[in-house]
Amino acid sequence: MRDYLTFVLKRLVQLAAVVFAGISAAFFITHMSPISPVEMIVGRVAAQASFSPQALQDLREALTELFAADLPLHIKYLNFWARFVVGDLGPSLIAFPTPAMQLVMRALPWTVGLLAVAIVMSWTIGNLLGGLAGYYQNNRFLKAFGVVAMGIQPIPYYIVAFLLVLIFGYFWPVLPISGGFAMNVRPGFTMEYILSILHHSILPAASLVIVGLGISFLGMRALVSNIVTEDYVTYAELAGVKSERVVFFYVIRNAAVPQLTGLAMALGGIFSGTIITEQVFGYPGLGTLLVTAVNGGDTTLVLAVSSMAVVAVASAIFVIDLLHPLLDPRVRVK
Amino acid sequence: MAEYKNILTVSGLKAYYKLDHFGITREVRAVDDITLSIRENEIYGIAGESSSGKTTLIKVLAAAIRPPLRIVEGSMTYRFGDKVIDPYKAGKDEVDAIRWKNLSYVMQGSMSVLNPVRRIRKSFEDFAFRPMGLPTREFWGRVETHLKRLNLSPDTLNSYPHELSGGMRQRMTIALATVCQPQFIIADEPTTALDVVVQKDVLVMLRDVQKQMGSSVVFVTHDMSVHANMADRIGIMYAGRLVEEGPTRTLFTAPKHPYTAHLVASLPRIGDRSPKAALEGRPPNLSDPPPGCRFHPRCPLAIDKCKVSVPPLEIVGESHRSACWRSDDVRPLTRFEGVREETL
Repeated sequence: MRDYLTFVLKRLVQLAAVVFAGISAAFFITHMSPISPVEMIVGRVAAQASFSPQALQDLREALTELFAADLPLHIKYLNFWARFVVGDLGPSLIAFPTPAMQLVMRALPWTVGLLAVAIVMSWTIGNLLGGLAGYYQNNRFLKAFGVVAMGIQPIPYYIVAFLLVLIFGYFWPVLPISGGFAMNVRPGFTMEYILSILHHSILPAASLVIVGLGISFLGMRALVSNIVTEDYVTYAELAGVKSERVVFFYVIRNAAVPQLTGLAMALGGIFSGTIITEQVFGYPGLGTLLVTAVNGGDTTLVLAVSSMAVVAVASAIFVIDLLHPLLDPRVRVK
Repeated sequence: MAEYKNILTVSGLKAYYKLDHFGITREVRAVDDITLSIRENEIYGIAGESSSGKTTLIKVLAAAIRPPLRIVEGSMTYRFGDKVIDPYKAGKDEVDAIRWKNLSYVMQGSMSVLNPVRRIRKSFEDFAFRPMGLPTREFWGRVETHLKRLNLSPDTLNSYPHELSGGMRQRMTIALATVCQPQFIIADEPTTALDVVVQKDVLVMLRDVQKQMGSSVVFVTHDMSVHANMADRIGIMYAGRLVEEGPTRTLFTAPKHPYTAHLVASLPRIGDRSPKAALEGRPPNLSDPPPGCRFHPRCPLAIDKCKVSVPPLEIVGESHRSACWRSDDVRPLTRFEGVREETL
């Protein structure tokens, strides 16, 4: 138990380092981009009506002062961290003066909810079916499933998403293809609202699950076809141990360890996949927010979304890391 | 001749590996026409060099064959009390019903036969609970008594396999294979990869278990000194065939097959300074064995008859069979004093 605590502490330090490096990278990328938020706003204002050049210049100066845009980069960087630790990332520029953090917090539950459900579903179902398919190699249903998974797995998330939109929104319009919930439902802790959310999440979740399922199915099946030749599996079979017991506790249990590592490694990729998926389904999550922010030249909001993404993905990997020694007794926590 | 009760009768058994690579079919005759019987309450050792078909034979006996290994001919019958069963003719459920209860198996490479992510206690439950058919408490009582009898601590049950040393893991595996008190135990190289001190412990343990329970043990090893100390009877295999079989003492002191004579003579003994001569040649390729006696290309006694006709395994003495046309002319190459007299 003591060893485990030291292990947790070590991983926590790693987590902090990863978050720091990731957010710093996001900061420099957004701040060194040639898009200037001041010019974006001035341009937008100037396009709406005619102003005297003097008025525009005044606006430019006022905005520069307001955004502190003329400070040197390293000062901005230090200021950013000073504010970051108290959870303040500054006002969003396109929804001025709403704090960027507030926008992020509004979008976060949507993305986390969607991703968590999709990942947990695709990982467990994919691994279970993959394990069974690797063990019962002559089962017709599982064989057919393998062929389908092999065909779907290389298709990118967004293509699957478009296909789903086409099928369930156009050819057979039975499911909502856009938004997080129905327009006529008032948000609140009501049955109607929750059902509406679930209803709207079916398609975006399905597009993630379909692809994710194929990936874990194929990975698991390949792993299992190796594990079934291990001595401990052969021996258990020879001893007449019931085959359900062999497949779950001897085969799948052993293959689950590398599959969990695989999941941790794939998390970042899955997250970037969601950004596009959300865009396709007009889902009110981080992905949609990020795309809006980038299009509006809102550096603060871009930075806030990326920081939150770094923290979320790194924390998820941290949790998976903590599970690892519990799943495999041979992993040394010292 | 004395009457013995046989627990296992094998006759004319042939098991071949059938390999099919891109349309070219190859047949490896790893077990070719074996006839033998194992008696109740005896330790039967199977000896022979690598690739002589020992492990294949033992897999066949344990009904543990998988493609590409296939039974081509012959029969194999176990007799457990009143129950008579041929595992290759009975259904899977019937075979599963005798496993561990009547027939257990210690696999080659016992280091890796325990599930690495499962506590040993769980393995005992998986393997032995159903065959024993006892209520939970009595079951664990029985397991702990068994472990204590083998001088193993019941606490070891709570370990994971990787927490134990190689010798300890091997002992736990043997304990696992014997906990249901089966009448028949098959052990494939039970001491390979262990150092001599641990080897001795493991062998003593295996023999004690056999004595206490009165079961029959068939074991394979290429270590002739282990055979000398363990086995009541030994079967010598060469190129997939049983070439000689007899009581341990007889085989060491008066072998009736030239291969056995050379095998026995290759054993080093304390005080023996004579150089060890090796036989010319190598064991034959089992996918294309020589005609006649498979040993004839290397045999110093070979005559023309050996090249064309296969010698049958014939009785040459009390419980002693040999497959050689010139078995009467075989003389021991060394003298063995005190085999089986010294204890382990």
